[in-house]
Amino acid sequence: MLGKTELTREQTWNLALAIGKVLLKNGAETSRVEDTITRFCHSNNCFDVNVFVTPTMIIIGDETAVNPSLVCRIRWRSNNLSNISLVNDFTYNLDSWNKNYEETLDYLNDLLLNPPSYGLALGCFGSALSSGCFAYLLGGSFNDLGAAFITGGVTMLLLKLLSGYRMSVFWENAVAGLSVGLIALSCCAVNADCTRTNIIVGAIMPFLPGLAFTNGLRDYMAGDLISGNCRTAEALLFAISLAIGLAASLLAWHNWGWALWR
Amino acid sequence: MEIDYLSAFFFAFLATCGFGFILQVPLKSLQTSGIIGAVGWVVFIHIARTLGHSTAYANFTATIIIALMSEFAARVSKQPVNIYVIPGIIPLVPGLGMYQGMTQIISGHYEYGMNILMHAGSDAGAIAMGMMLVTSIFRMFKITNEQGKVLREKMKKRQ
Repeated sequence: MLGKTELTREQTWNLALAIGKVLLKNGAETSRVEDTITRFCHSNNCFDVNVFVTPTMIIIGDETAVNPSLVCRIRWRSNNLSNISLVNDFTYNLDSWNKNYEETLDYLNDLLLNPPSYGLALGCFGSALSSGCFAYLLGGSFNDLGAAFITGGVTMLLLKLLSGYRMSVFWENAVAGLSVGLIALSCCAVNADCTRTNIIVGAIMPFLPGLAFTNGLRDYMAGDLISGNCRTAEALLFAISLAIGLAASLLAWHNWGWALWR
Repeated sequence: MEIDYLSAFFFAFLATCGFGFILQVPLKSLQTSGIIGAVGWVVFIHIARTLGHSTAYANFTATIIIALMSEFAARVSKQPVNIYVIPGIIPLVPGLGMYQGMTQIISGHYEYGMNILMHAGSDAGAIAMGMMLVTSIFRMFKITNEQGKVLREKMKKRQ
C-alpha cells in the first residue's frame, strides 16, 4: 500500500531497492537496511522476499527460479543522517503517503542525487568546532583550542575540495593526516604556548575511524559477520592511512621545517 | 584530581553539535543529540577519572546511558535511533587509541602499538556491547509483535 494505491510486485521491489540504496549510501548499518526493505515488502504483501545486504551491495530476490532478482552495487558511501531520517519517515507513514509510484521513485532518487546538506561552510565550521572542543576536552589549553579550531576547519575544507576528484579513500585520508600535521606544526611555530600533541589529537578527531570501528563491532554482535569484517577492516585501513599522512608531515617538518621558521 | 564538570559538559556539547554538522543530523534534533553526547562524556569522565575505574567499564556505563536516552528521544520525536546514538557516542569512540597504535606500529614499536590497539579494541567492544544491550532489550517487544503479524499473514495464505 502506498497511500490508497496497491503496488504490483515489480513496483514494490523497485521502490525497495531505491530505499535500500538511499539508506546504504548514507551510512545506515546493514541490519537496518535489511529490516527496512523486508518491512516495506511485507507491508506490500510480498512475504517471500529475501534480502542480502553487505556494505558494498544489495541483493533482493525470492526463493524461486522464476522471478528475477535485483542486484545493486554500492561504491561510494558517506554519512548523512538527514536522509536516513527522511526515508524512515516515509517507510513508517506508508498509509498516509500522498504521492503515487512514479513520484515516490523520483523522490527517492532525488534524495540520492541531491541530499539535504548544511553546505560547505557549515560543514567546515562543524569540523573546526569539534576539533577545538576535543583538543580542550582531551587536556589542552585555550591556545590549543584555537589552533585545533583552525586546523580542523582548514583540513575539512581541503578534504571537501578534494572529494570531487574521487581519489581513493586511502589517499584522501593520508592527505588529511598530512594537512593536520603541517598546520598544527605551523601553529606551534607561530605561537609558542601551543602543545603539538594536543592540537594534533583534537584536530584529527573528525577524520578518525573510531565510529566505523565501533559500528563494525556492533555489526558482529548483531550477527552480520560479513558487514562486521568489512567495517572493521575499513576502520583499520583508515587509521593506517591517517597515521601515514601524519608521520610523513612530522618527518618532513623534522628534516626541513625548522630551518624555514628560524 | 579536580574536574570541572560544567566546562566538560559545555565543550562536549559543542563538540557533539560540531559532529552533527559533519554527519548531517537534522537541525531540529541537533540540540538533543548534543545534550546526549555531553551527558555521556560527563558520566565517562566521572567514572574513569574521578572514580578511577577502567576505561572499558566507564565506556560501557556511559554508552548504556546514551543509548537509553537516545531510545527515549527517538520514541518521543519519532525519528530513527541512529540520529541520536551516532553523534552521542562520538566523544567516547576510541579513534585516538587506534591512531596512536597505528603511529607506534609505523614507527617500529610493534609491542607498544599492539598494546594500545588492544586497549582501543576493548573500549570499542564495550561501547558496542552497551549499545547492543539496550537495542536488543528495546527490540525484543517490537519484533515479537511484528513477527507475529507476519506469521499470521503467512498462515492465512496457506489455508
